Amino acid sequence: MDSAKILAELLLKRQLRSGGWSYFGSRQSCVESTSLAVLALGRDGPNATIAGTEHLLRSQERDGGWPAFIGDVESAWVTALVLCTLNTTSDFAVARERALQWLMMERGREGHWFWRWKFRIADRDVRFNPDKYGWPWSPKTVSWVIPSAFSLVAIKQYTACNRLAASEERIRLGVEMLLDRACVVGGWNSGNSIVYGVPLPPHVEATAIALLALQDEERTPMIRMSLAWLKQRSATIEAVESLAWSILSLFVYQEPVEDLKARLATLIGDGREIRNNATLATAILALRCGEMIHPFVVLR
Amino acid sequence: MAATTGVAADWFWPKHSVSYRKPCSFVAILNAADYSEKVEALLMDGLRLFRLNVAGRRVLLKPNLVEDLPGPINTNADIIGAAARCFLRLGAARVVIGEGPGHQRDTELVVQAANLKPHLADRQIQFVDLNRDELVRVKLKANYSRLGGLWLPRTVLDSDFVVSMPKIKTHHWAGVTLSLKNMFGIVPGMKYGWPKNLLHWHGIHESILDICASVPIHFVIADGITAMEGNGPLQGTARDLGKIVLADDPVAADATCARLMGFDPLRVQHLSDAGRFLGNLKAERITTLGDRPEPVTPPFSVLPEFHYLVASTH
Repeated sequence: MDSAKILAELLLKRQLRSGGWSYFGSRQSCVESTSLAVLALGRDGPNATIAGTEHLLRSQERDGGWPAFIGDVESAWVTALVLCTLNTTSDFAVARERALQWLMMERGREGHWFWRWKFRIADRDVRFNPDKYGWPWSPKTVSWVIPSAFSLVAIKQYTACNRLAASEERIRLGVEMLLDRACVVGGWNSGNSIVYGVPLPPHVEATAIALLALQDEERTPMIRMSLAWLKQRSATIEAVESLAWSILSLFVYQEPVEDLKARLATLIGDGREIRNNATLATAILALRCGEMIHPFVVLR
Repeated sequence: MAATTGVAADWFWPKHSVSYRKPCSFVAILNAADYSEKVEALLMDGLRLFRLNVAGRRVLLKPNLVEDLPGPINTNADIIGAAARCFLRLGAARVVIGEGPGHQRDTELVVQAANLKPHLADRQIQFVDLNRDELVRVKLKANYSRLGGLWLPRTVLDSDFVVSMPKIKTHHWAGVTLSLKNMFGIVPGMKYGWPKNLLHWHGIHESILDICASVPIHFVIADGITAMEGNGPLQGTARDLGKIVLADDPVAADATCARLMGFDPLRVQHLSDAGRFLGNLKAERITTLGDRPEPVTPPFSVLPEFHYLVASTH
């Protein structure tokens, strides 16, 4: 049995009765782990995938977004991830349209003129251009790299065939925000590239996810530098989550990933040591790169 | 005048519904030149000075694990591992090391980089990623931040004995990051993001006070063998302090650490306010077991914005 299949069986066993998945074995279903598990299990667990999808659909808030976990009521960053998940089917048009509308309305706090003014005049410890905003992790906070990147992928996918001017404008702004927040050496961290005049280093996972959002953009020097940084760093990384996201990202840039996949399979073994279901699901997706439709691919 | 008004306002409209101040707090400053296997014996001797009753209790160790970068950023893993084994020897029913890194989303990467994994081989010592633990809504027991409530990890709330284990560092927004600031790491990233930006918007000092009022710290083990000065908590420089600070009161611990760093603890905003209800700030209410705290010379370097922290004796 191949490695991904063994991991998929393990992930199936960890599904909650509600149809969702927690991160670490509690009974609290979390939207990130559920979305990634639904994507990862596609062909290995059609019933589980249906139950997981129905669970997600039941969890959609009235405003069109999803909370980070079941029990909370505040729509958050995971909405983009659910939209990516639902985008892999051609169904659920109403739920997807409502999710898009939520994403179009949501913005980092610097999207408001008052806070833009504050960041430009008074609060300049962190270097960034507040005119270029994306999406926050949770409402009433500023834009950060990973939620912005997932939102860009989700909107690009959903509007690929019929993109209105408003979506196009929001995509442009989000892309500009990502490029503005890139680290000096290439790559991305949470979104603070220079603090008190000192450049901060990039993170693997944030870089991989940001590059997924920029896969269909012109290969600017910054994108090429970031890709080179990710290739170099992923060659030695030993953490499953970061390695898995690296593979998913490098693959869409047509970089060779077979060696990385082999290392990931070795690191993860039978998966029992991987208690985080979101990590387990991401690893399955990475190991299946090239064998299934990439869930974060953006059509040009 | 402003301080008097603040105290009066606090008396009429208190911002906290709890007080953890004791008549007297105890602090011990242990000398340790470097990180070695000797740390465990040193720590055990230090803990015995406090006659802690942890038998049968669920102990949570909350270290400061932030990034997978070189330098004195994270609480040293040898001290974390030693503390875990010491509490088991003192009879703890369970020891959990819990952390929710505030910048790096891949917690495993941080745990690997901190070299904590070898210490987790003991089956009685478990690591919990507080960024992704089951969450419970908690009404905050202080209202400096006006957050009202927070979702917090069940592992933290189910613990009987919380040990904050900071790295002694300067901090470019809070001035210092010690046992109180270290509790930012219990706030879950899956809900509040990486970084936990909502806390910044509600005020770093204010959020620290509200979190520590709601999740009391029972003991502190501060790693100051190699500390950080300058542009902390990530980009500062190493400063050999050669100390581990133990305390049964987080305010007393942080005040002592601040004095060691050459700072006036009253000038650290959250520490000054914490002295009203989270513990003892004034030296006369802190009994030192062992060596007296002697401020280092020169004091820890800070960014220009924080020059006011330096005690006037320097």
